[in-house]
Amino acid sequence: MRVEDLPRKEVNVLKGHEGGVLAARFNGDGNYCLSCGKDRTIRLWNPHRGIHIKTYKSHAREVRDVHVTPDNSKLCSCGGDRQVFYWDVATGRVIRKFRGHDGEVNGVKFNEYSSVVVSAGYDQSLRAWDCRSHSTEPIQIIDTFADSVMSVSLTKTEIIGGSVDGTVRTFDIRIGREISDNLGQPVNCVSMSNDGNCILAGCLDSSLRLLDRSTGELLQEYKGHTNKSYKLDCCLTNTDAHVTGGSEDGFIYFWDLVDASVVSRFRAHTSVVTSVSYHPKENCMVTSSVDGTVRVWKT
Amino acid sequence: MESDEEDFVFYGTPIEREDDLTSRKKKAIAEASGQLRTLPAWKQEVRDEEGRRRFHGAFTGGYSAGYYNTVGSKEGWAPRSFKSSRKNRAEFKEQNILNFLDEDEKAEMEGRLLGTTSQFDTFGFTAAEIARKQAEKEQKQRPSIIPGPAPDEIVVPATESVGVKLLLKMGWSRGRSIKDSHSDALYDARRQARRAFLAFSSDDPAVKITESEPIWGDSENFPEQLANDEQFSKSTPVFVLNPKEDLYGLGFDPYKHAPEFREMKRPRVSSMRGPGYSKNLSTRDSLFGLKSGKAAPGFGIGALEEHDAEDEDVYATGFEIEDAYVQEVEEPSTLSLENPKKKEQKNQGDLPGFRVASNSDYKMERFEPPLIPKDFVPHHEFSGPLDINCKGCEVTPPDVSPPQNGNLKLLIDGVANLVAKCGKLYEDLSREKNQTNPLFSFLSGGTGHDYYTRKLWEAQQKCNDQTSQQLDGKMPPSVQRLTAESRGKILGEKSLKKSAQDPSSSIASTDIQLQFNLTDTFTKSASFSELMDIEKPFKDDPAKQERFEQFLKEKYKGGLRSASSSLAGDMTESARAKERLSFEAAAEAIEKGRQGRGSKPSIASSMDFIPGGVMQFTSSEVERKKDPLVEDILSKKMYPKREEFQWRPSPLLCKRFDLIDPYMGKPPPAPRIRSKMDSLIFTSDSVKVNKVDGPVFSKKDITPLQQLTNDDMTKSFTENKTEGDVEVENIERPVDLYKAIFSDDSDDEGEDPSIKRVENPEKKAEVANTALSRLIAGDFLESLGKELGIEVPPDMPYPAQKSRNVASQKEIVNEDSKIDILKSENNGVMSSNHDIPYDQHISHEAGASKGDTIHGNMLESSNITTKGTGIIDSKPAKSNGNNIEDDKKIKTSLICRQDHGSSSEEERSRKGTNREKSEEYKKVKTPGTHRRDYSSSFSIEEERSRKHSRHHRRKRHDGGSDSASDDERDRYSSRSKGRRKGSSRSEKHSKHHKHRKLPSRSSRYYNDKDNSYSKREKKRRE
Repeated sequence: MRVEDLPRKEVNVLKGHEGGVLAARFNGDGNYCLSCGKDRTIRLWNPHRGIHIKTYKSHAREVRDVHVTPDNSKLCSCGGDRQVFYWDVATGRVIRKFRGHDGEVNGVKFNEYSSVVVSAGYDQSLRAWDCRSHSTEPIQIIDTFADSVMSVSLTKTEIIGGSVDGTVRTFDIRIGREISDNLGQPVNCVSMSNDGNCILAGCLDSSLRLLDRSTGELLQEYKGHTNKSYKLDCCLTNTDAHVTGGSEDGFIYFWDLVDASVVSRFRAHTSVVTSVSYHPKENCMVTSSVDGTVRVWKT
Repeated sequence: MESDEEDFVFYGTPIEREDDLTSRKKKAIAEASGQLRTLPAWKQEVRDEEGRRRFHGAFTGGYSAGYYNTVGSKEGWAPRSFKSSRKNRAEFKEQNILNFLDEDEKAEMEGRLLGTTSQFDTFGFTAAEIARKQAEKEQKQRPSIIPGPAPDEIVVPATESVGVKLLLKMGWSRGRSIKDSHSDALYDARRQARRAFLAFSSDDPAVKITESEPIWGDSENFPEQLANDEQFSKSTPVFVLNPKEDLYGLGFDPYKHAPEFREMKRPRVSSMRGPGYSKNLSTRDSLFGLKSGKAAPGFGIGALEEHDAEDEDVYATGFEIEDAYVQEVEEPSTLSLENPKKKEQKNQGDLPGFRVASNSDYKMERFEPPLIPKDFVPHHEFSGPLDINCKGCEVTPPDVSPPQNGNLKLLIDGVANLVAKCGKLYEDLSREKNQTNPLFSFLSGGTGHDYYTRKLWEAQQKCNDQTSQQLDGKMPPSVQRLTAESRGKILGEKSLKKSAQDPSSSIASTDIQLQFNLTDTFTKSASFSELMDIEKPFKDDPAKQERFEQFLKEKYKGGLRSASSSLAGDMTESARAKERLSFEAAAEAIEKGRQGRGSKPSIASSMDFIPGGVMQFTSSEVERKKDPLVEDILSKKMYPKREEFQWRPSPLLCKRFDLIDPYMGKPPPAPRIRSKMDSLIFTSDSVKVNKVDGPVFSKKDITPLQQLTNDDMTKSFTENKTEGDVEVENIERPVDLYKAIFSDDSDDEGEDPSIKRVENPEKKAEVANTALSRLIAGDFLESLGKELGIEVPPDMPYPAQKSRNVASQKEIVNEDSKIDILKSENNGVMSSNHDIPYDQHISHEAGASKGDTIHGNMLESSNITTKGTGIIDSKPAKSNGNNIEDDKKIKTSLICRQDHGSSSEEERSRKGTNREKSEEYKKVKTPGTHRRDYSSSFSIEEERSRKHSRHHRRKRHDGGSDSASDDERDRYSSRSKGRRKGSSRSEKHSKHHKHRKLPSRSSRYYNDKDNSYSKREKKRRE
């Protein structure tokens, strides 16, 4: 993929959030996107047309992360109110509230079958919540982390969590093993490569680290941006050719995956870019920022 | 709908429409009206309310009678009263027939129940019962003092049975036995007749026997007979003397009318037990022996019946052969009847057929006592001579003050110890060897000889003590030998230095110092710093080196300390304070280096002391800062680290992920062990840092240091040195002290949060107690100062991130003051980089807050520490370069506090410049509003408030508690605590983790505020 194909042109600005937007996520097919922020709402957008579709209000504090099922029927969200909400997308009602985290919940994800919500909390734990039954108790608590868990990522068989204790821990359900990769730096964000072989970990020393999942080897480090105090997202492009991430100075960075050179950087927001999400198929990207906007980028 | 209908009133029967009435319903109605009853039973059908036939019993094809599967009632069968016996077992009663009877049946039964009328109630049970019932009835009617029915014991029936009445009428009086006197006469007559008959048919002796017996038999059956007839006897049951041994029916007596035969039976029975001789008796003496020889033992044979062949004893066959062994001959031929009885008793316990031997082969063997040789003298000589007593009466050398030269003193001590251990020979040897060496002149009567003799004597005393205790534990150590010094040695105390030693001291501080040193003597072990003298970090400046040695001595040795001004009298207070700080740093560096060497001899401590300047203690950290590349490489080598653990997914999770549970059917795994060590050991961290740094830089430092040590060491010292080294290794900081003060972060973090919550309150209370006691007993500031010495040098040149970490990690009181000094001195340098001051502020604050909390404790607990606080608090003032006046107040402990208001003001203003810069820096960073909430970067307001609160804290020091600042203070302390929390959490990952602590803190920061309330409580408890 050439550099020109990178989404660097602003197509739409999704305005509506009052206060910072803490996360923006494409849905499974990339037709919609969700954002959540400090105004305690979750908003559903059509990023391609720049239309605000729906607002989900129920959280008592800021909403830190949101995720949608592959069939677009359910949402899960989490935030500062220490709860994980399980929403019905169409009606906008909360189906279930999962309480149990002792601290703020930093990240949340559905599993492949949308049957389990896994949340990462400040209480140093990952918790798995059952969406099928009516139980509001977690079906599993993973508390081997030594510090706040900032981000969670799921595969078909694994739960991957990144924590401030500097570890990326992979919990393989299939073999019942926990693999802890200590990066030595607080991990803000873990995201999977599209081929599933690598983990991109955003660390608080202003670097992104690419880990080989099978060996735990550090493949590459991506530097240049600023990330020292905020929880910033990072991800790989849909072709796995580039690594992208926001910076605390409002810039967006694109690195080449292999040689870690900054391919492109441009000012996207006036403030910290909290989240980036890349379209699953097209060259499109949404970014959110503390400045209260969500921007849609295309080539 | 229903409620609507209820409002109406209907008259008459509503006409039902035809279609509503199904045929089923019709049938039901018909049945209800009794039409079907006319049918025979097998044709009747049972239908429910709807008229449906109830089909019951698929295999029998029958129809149920109404309530199928039940007992035929609507309620079904239910036990009369079901009570769970689980809880109230005692109340569970046994059922009786009345439980199953209906009321009418009971009423029917009532009339037919059998009972004794009072007339025939012999024992009065019925009467008693009736009386009791009556009493109960009455009880209910009348009020009583005693609630409830009167006890049965009290209410005794006053009736007499008919039998008693009859007897009384017949002349029986109470207490007299009831006996038929006439029966005796009849019995006697019958007996006489039998005797006469027997006399004809049997031998004479038999008659004799029988004649002698009957009385005995009678007396057994009728004991009363022998007694006087007139005698009153209680009608108590007769004690059964003879247990029933036969197989007759109960109460059947075959000898009822022939007691003579009973006696015949008796030997028979005994013959069963002892077949040997009783066989003789039975054959020889039996009544029927002449006729058959073997008669059945009277089973079912009447006394007057003839004996036939069929009466022969079919069971007693085997005895004939055995007869051969019986010693019949020796028995007396004529046996009286008493004899066998006696014999029986006598030989009981012996085996039949055997007799006790008259002489036995076995003899108890006895040995003669050994013969004592004639020339033996009962006196024991011990192998080793007991020379304790001789030593005790030796003349004690006078107590001499040690020589001024510390080295010499050490030398003398060492030599004395060695000589005491190894003997006089060693002394001679070393004297010979070091003839020329002026240092060893004390051996041959030079300077310090007196001291040497004294020391030698002491050491010998000590040795003797040990040997004597080994030789005989019984002997109590003589009182005269246990001098104060020796006792102190036993207890591990150090001798106090003679106060006469310090010629020029500021007397104001000596008493305080005395307390310091006193506590020191208890906390430090004696030979800690012996090596310290050898390493000379300030060798360029001999005077300073001397002062440094003095300092070390004071630091580690304790004892009455000469004032620090004794050597550096010409120095100003501020200079002295600075020097002291540098000394402390140097001492720590040396110690650290030694610890490092202890484990890794090749790595030398990386000290680089620049004499004279303020930045005297630039340790390895400087170089580290210069070498980010090296560090980077190191970090890359270390990370990422991969570890694997077992982890057990819950079965439900596996199910939801559509996976097979890998642990299906396996027992639950053991909980992972989390070592407490990594969070507990503080020293390891610093040591580690040193180790890591070691190979990278400061190779050049190795040689001079080692040379130094080599130069200064004499032969006799080497041994001491190793000893000292070992001891140094063993000396740990008072860990529980730190635990006490910072308990919540040090050891709890490694654990599960839930556990933490449970444990915390008790643990903290307990730990706090120990800490308090320690504060009183031990020298708190001193140890803290040592901490400072360890930690400060690495931090100073690397302020951006390190300092904060360490501040949070170590919580050193002195730290803030030190940083202040640094800052003030190096402002020019540092301001070139804006980040550094900003961060330094933070670290500074952290240190301050910690110090403050500690101060609070100290002020409450004791005033021992006053001097220390004075020094610490005054540092800022000093750093401002105010004046000497201020500095002098430092020494006078508490007074100086009043200056802090002003000094802190100045400090604040000075900080203002830094703050502006940092503000600029931050403005670039983010717009203020959002940042504060979500992220952790310190907003301006917060920083200001922090400063504010700090100011207030100082005010609190001044005397009163400031309620207005309480909140801020608490919040701040909690925040700083949170910071600590994080830092200690990652302590195990040596130094590289420290870098990320800053960001880690910040990324978690927004939580700190929320948690502050709970944490505040904790803090207060501390």
